[in-house]
Amino acid sequence: MRMVNLRAPYSARRVVFVLAVILVLGFLLLPSQLQSGFQYIGSPLGWIISWPLQVVAGIHDRIADVWGRYVALQGVEEENQQLKRELDLLKEQNGQLREASVATERLSALLEFKKQALPASVAAQVIGRDTGNWYKTIILNKGASDGLQSDQGVITPAGVVGRVVKTTASTAVVLLVTDPNNAIAGLIQRTRDEGIVEGTTQGQARLKYIPLLSNARPGDHVVTSGLVGGFPRGIPIGTIIRIDKEEEALFQSAELSPEIDPNRVEEVLVIQSPSLPTEGERLGVPKLKP
Amino acid sequence: MKALLYFIVIVGVVPIQSVLLSHISLWDVKPDLGFVAACLVGLIAGELDGLLVGLALGWAMSLFSAQDLMSGTIIKGAVGFVAGLAGRQVVYLSPVVFVAGLLVVSCLVGLITPFVLKLSVQQDWWWAVWTIVLPQACLDAVIGGAIYWLMRSRMNIEQLMSESRM
Repeated sequence: MRMVNLRAPYSARRVVFVLAVILVLGFLLLPSQLQSGFQYIGSPLGWIISWPLQVVAGIHDRIADVWGRYVALQGVEEENQQLKRELDLLKEQNGQLREASVATERLSALLEFKKQALPASVAAQVIGRDTGNWYKTIILNKGASDGLQSDQGVITPAGVVGRVVKTTASTAVVLLVTDPNNAIAGLIQRTRDEGIVEGTTQGQARLKYIPLLSNARPGDHVVTSGLVGGFPRGIPIGTIIRIDKEEEALFQSAELSPEIDPNRVEEVLVIQSPSLPTEGERLGVPKLKP
Repeated sequence: MKALLYFIVIVGVVPIQSVLLSHISLWDVKPDLGFVAACLVGLIAGELDGLLVGLALGWAMSLFSAQDLMSGTIIKGAVGFVAGLAGRQVVYLSPVVFVAGLLVVSCLVGLITPFVLKLSVQQDWWWAVWTIVLPQACLDAVIGGAIYWLMRSRMNIEQLMSESRM
């Protein structure tokens, strides 16, 4: 096969080459704030690419669905038996939980705990993963046109997924909680000690800057502290699996097992509301009278 | 025709890279199709085409990654440009030599990238080399070599290379 030669004349090529060099130099010299302009200019390109991206993601989902329903049925019989046994166990637990639920409802009403609903959020679907290997991110099918912005928190009913770091018109990139470059303010639920949750290179998370006197232990749950970032207080992040206390260190740290499996996340909620309710507003603390 | 082909490459690489390649990743590392495409375009069509396609690919891929736009765009643009310069120096390029070249260039780019990205202190140089740079270079070389071999068996690469340098 021979390609048609539609190359521009030599002088035109030289002009294009000079423009390309100016572009590269511009990139190098511009301050990072101005480079966000390039991100903005890239939105139409991102919109164009999002179409084939969603088509490929759709085809991929269909194939995965067919594979899961009809092809990958090995061991289903054994799994079915095990699930039946688990179901019996869960029925028993369900009865106990109903009782506990009635009691909780009563107490909640008593404490006027009704304002605890999450702030405004947008549901989105995961359509892809990071195009490179250096960051652990997921790509969502909602973007700036749906009101998504950088630094908004992303959760599932199970817990924290990550936070939005980049948007185009119709997609958003979410840096996962397990990425070492992510940092979320966390709180140990039992001891009320605060720290910063970072991802690790092993795909787990780590709560740093826990006070030395804290009696945190494996099994303790870590939730968002709600102090900074796009998360309200109390969203589960992970469970402590190991405490690391180094000699002469000012703080201790804890390794966490994240509540979510980033590789299996399919649908998420993006927390949109910039003004999250304060703890007082959420708990309905009575206002002071003048 | 050429511009349309480049547009299809740019628009097509991102969905394949972000949706499909995560399934064929080895040790959680996937090949960089943008890098391979920039190399091939630079080598076959010359340094200017390599530079422009590399810049566009880097920009498009950065829109769907946490990587900053500048590093992604410039690195891929530079790769396309260097591939074009290298292509100018050779008359005949066997798939084996191409694979070896890709391996070396991918390693070099991978070694520079952690410094450019200013990653977390956990992601030090040795961690990057063993967990990302080397596996990705191997995958890039294998995928690039396979595409190059396929292209050689379908079209006259040497003729295309010589035409682009006229």
